[in-house]
Amino acid sequence: METFFQSLVNGILTGTLYAMIGVGLTVIFGVMRIINLAHGDMVMLGMFGAYWSYTLWKIDPFVSALLLVPLLFIAGMLAYRFLLKAIIPGGELNTLLYTAGLSLLIANLALFAWTGDYRTLNLSYAEVPLRPFGIAVPVPLAIAFGLAVLITVALYFFLARTDTGRAVRATSQNAEAAALMGINVENISMITFGLGAALAAAAGVLLVPSLYLYPTVGEILIVKCFVIVVLGGLGSVPGAIAGGILLGVVESFGAVYVSVAYKDTIGFIIFLLVLLFRPQGLFGARQA
Amino acid sequence: MKRALPIIAGILVLCIPLMVSNQFLLHLGIIVLMWTVLGVAWNLLGGYAGQVSFGHASFFGVGAYTTMILYLSFGLAPWYGMALGGIMGALLSLPIGFICFRLRGPYFSLATLAVAEIVRLVALNWEQLTHGPMGLLITTLPVVTLFGEPINWERKGPFFLIVAVIALSAMFATYLLARARLGSYLLAIREDEDAAESIGINTTRAKVSALALSAFFTGLAGGFYGMYFRYVDPDAVFPISLSIEMVFIAVVGGLRTIAGPVVGAVFLTTIAELVREHFEVGHLIFYGLFMMLVIRYLPDGIWGRVLRFFTPHR
Repeated sequence: METFFQSLVNGILTGTLYAMIGVGLTVIFGVMRIINLAHGDMVMLGMFGAYWSYTLWKIDPFVSALLLVPLLFIAGMLAYRFLLKAIIPGGELNTLLYTAGLSLLIANLALFAWTGDYRTLNLSYAEVPLRPFGIAVPVPLAIAFGLAVLITVALYFFLARTDTGRAVRATSQNAEAAALMGINVENISMITFGLGAALAAAAGVLLVPSLYLYPTVGEILIVKCFVIVVLGGLGSVPGAIAGGILLGVVESFGAVYVSVAYKDTIGFIIFLLVLLFRPQGLFGARQA
Repeated sequence: MKRALPIIAGILVLCIPLMVSNQFLLHLGIIVLMWTVLGVAWNLLGGYAGQVSFGHASFFGVGAYTTMILYLSFGLAPWYGMALGGIMGALLSLPIGFICFRLRGPYFSLATLAVAEIVRLVALNWEQLTHGPMGLLITTLPVVTLFGEPINWERKGPFFLIVAVIALSAMFATYLLARARLGSYLLAIREDEDAAESIGINTTRAKVSALALSAFFTGLAGGFYGMYFRYVDPDAVFPISLSIEMVFIAVVGGLRTIAGPVVGAVFLTTIAELVREHFEVGHLIFYGLFMMLVIRYLPDGIWGRVLRFFTPHR
């Protein structure tokens, strides 16, 4: 029973971080109909940003997030404005291939700059885990969980309550109608892409103390991210959150009760089953 | 004259090993032709049918492993194993096709990516069959005599001829497909799948047939890879990046063209060889960059653009 709760808690903690990555991908898809294959590489950039600020300047990753997240927000907006904007009229498959190219470019530039070594970031306060109710919870993962919840709530308020957030949702529902209502769809797209990149970077920074980092880590993360987003229904923010937590729990149980080697396979099989039998996602509404 | 040109070019390619004795140049030629096969095979599905697959590495890997396992366990010579590798690739593609083709557009692409990852993980973990991450190694190839003379497998010439024949037959198959009824079905599906269905085309069957043909040539190339390099492991023949590189060859060369993948393969292999001296995976930086540039500025690909330049405006 203890193992059960331990893996459940681990699953939920990692799942929240997965959810953040998934939310970034899903808002971008919702507004621009881009499946951003370079999303995992943005997480990777966040991870390396945090790693280098800790190694070079001894800045705690949770502090460097304050600098990195706005930085990636701007980088994301620029990437949209100067790279992706011209491609979008070419259709979904063109943007898919284009972002595949972008992903390869970013990942291999990172490989060139930082080599393929596996790195870890060891924080002094990470050595002794918290033990509430006899369940071991690593301190950095607990902080990351708290911050992820905070960011997700902030995002919810942004989308639900602010004018810009409403504009984002309106564009996501129907870009043409939104434009007719006087929303500047181009600006909203740019902001949304920045937002997605910022969320990815934030997740990267929060993941750094708990994960190995290497330049091609994005490849694995992006595949996980698709699983999450498809589970929840592409374009749905609550769906992505639920999908992320679900994947985290499934992986964690899979590693304990099935086999460590096949834990990723379980996620993919669920992904295929959902794609086949509920392509609108577990929580999504059926769309035309 | 116009029709004779490809035939002459094909014969010239087959004569290359007689004229060139530099082993490094022949090696380069072999690599270019192998990538050509992969690009042509991917183009059958991705270009002609408009179904972007990110999972072709699984057919390549299955072909390579089939060839290696049949030789190491049953002593079946790799050139027969290679053909069986192609057939295994095609067989594997049937269930994958029937599952993934229920989805369209980008969803299909994502599904193929997931399937390819499942296949890779199985290959990595099924150690009795594949030896897992250790991979499989062939030390010597069996003796074959052709016209009473044993073929020297230590030289590159015989390999060049084998892969050239595969590449030419893949291109010929593309030529036939584009003119066959199936080719027209695929064109209709690419342009508008609902409309194709409504005029009575069995779209799933057409797409699965194209995938099977594509997977056959990919598996054949995989078998050739195993025989030429004599070593396979899951990281070499199953990675996502391999699937993506196949896409690049076809897109950069020119979708829906027969010779496009040749141009793509020559172009990208040249970059890879130029960069490799300095940095092992540096060529992937350029692959990514060229992919982006081509989609932005040359959506028809390099060869597609050249063709358009020569054909009069209609």
